[in-house]
Amino acid sequence: MTEPVSPNKVPVMIGIGEYYIGSSAMMTIGLGSCIGLTIYDRDLHIGAMVHIMLPDSSGRIDRPGKYADTAIPLLLNKLTERGSQRTSLVVKMAGGACMFEYFGNNLNIGERNAERVRAVLAENHLRISAEEVGGKSGRTVAFYPDEKGKVTVRSADGSAHEI
Amino acid sequence: MKLSSVQVDAMQELGNIGAAHAATTLSQMLSSTVEMSVPKIRVIDVSQLADYIGDEPAALVVFELQGEIPHGGYIIVYISRKSAVRLTNTMLGLTDMDRPLNEMDESALIEVGNIMASAFLDATAELLGFVMLPSPPALTIDMAHAAMQSLIAQMQEEIDEVMLFSTELMCEEHRIDSDIIMMPETSTLKTFVERLENLMKTQ
Repeated sequence: MTEPVSPNKVPVMIGIGEYYIGSSAMMTIGLGSCIGLTIYDRDLHIGAMVHIMLPDSSGRIDRPGKYADTAIPLLLNKLTERGSQRTSLVVKMAGGACMFEYFGNNLNIGERNAERVRAVLAENHLRISAEEVGGKSGRTVAFYPDEKGKVTVRSADGSAHEI
Repeated sequence: MKLSSVQVDAMQELGNIGAAHAATTLSQMLSSTVEMSVPKIRVIDVSQLADYIGDEPAALVVFELQGEIPHGGYIIVYISRKSAVRLTNTMLGLTDMDRPLNEMDESALIEVGNIMASAFLDATAELLGFVMLPSPPALTIDMAHAAMQSLIAQMQEEIDEVMLFSTELMCEEHRIDSDIIMMPETSTLKTFVERLENLMKTQ
């Protein structure tokens, strides 16, 4: 099943608050309370991925990928520009963990991130088809638009699985 | 916040003093020599964090900076997973490297972290002339990037750039490598710099 990784398969690395749209493999490493959101267009075989850090932009516009409320409209606009139809989109998310309960002081950012992502998607008439959120552990997420939008989640012990 | 070269030097000296005390305590706990690197101050855009801290498993003992500045930021004792096993093996008199970390290891790591962070903060607070205390510790043995990212997300003042203030402590005999990382809030950093500048003026 596993193919050898060719040089052009080196994934595009997406840092905190960054996003990417295209058909190449993408990866975001070490998600804690952050969310890795992927949107795959099953007709055009392209995808978008973003590394969201906080639920609310509170009006900031300089880093739209950093916040759930600005990141999702941004990706949808970019995909629409490329000809995507809403009905072709498959949305998945991973992350939103709570690694330090003690410091949480009633603000579980991971959980709030995931809730906000769901709410903003709903406003845009989209549903999540697969997700792996919450818990206490970090996650590294890889997204392969050229392999039917496959999304894999890896944990610190090295085990990986598809969602 | 941009630091001038004089301010960077002053902060480095602060880190030097803190890390030297932490190194002494680690050396006592291991009954072995511990060397320390020159403290590094890095200002990193959050989107580039993964270039400095990867998703390899590590033990991170985390404390919030408390005291006169209630939510001052974080101090983190970072030990790679392999070093963490070597460290607790040395402390507990074990030899098996290829084993999962259990509750005993976790207690030992928290204890080491606690003693090192307290020594670091005692020394820096004394120099700065105000009380800085570590919160109770929180331990995670997981992807280092995920832990650091979670801390950055919950800082009081939202930031696009993070200042990491790190010093490496190495024990060659037991091949243990650790890092003390301080990640102050922007306002805390300003307070540090002001205090240090006043100190330099009065000397």
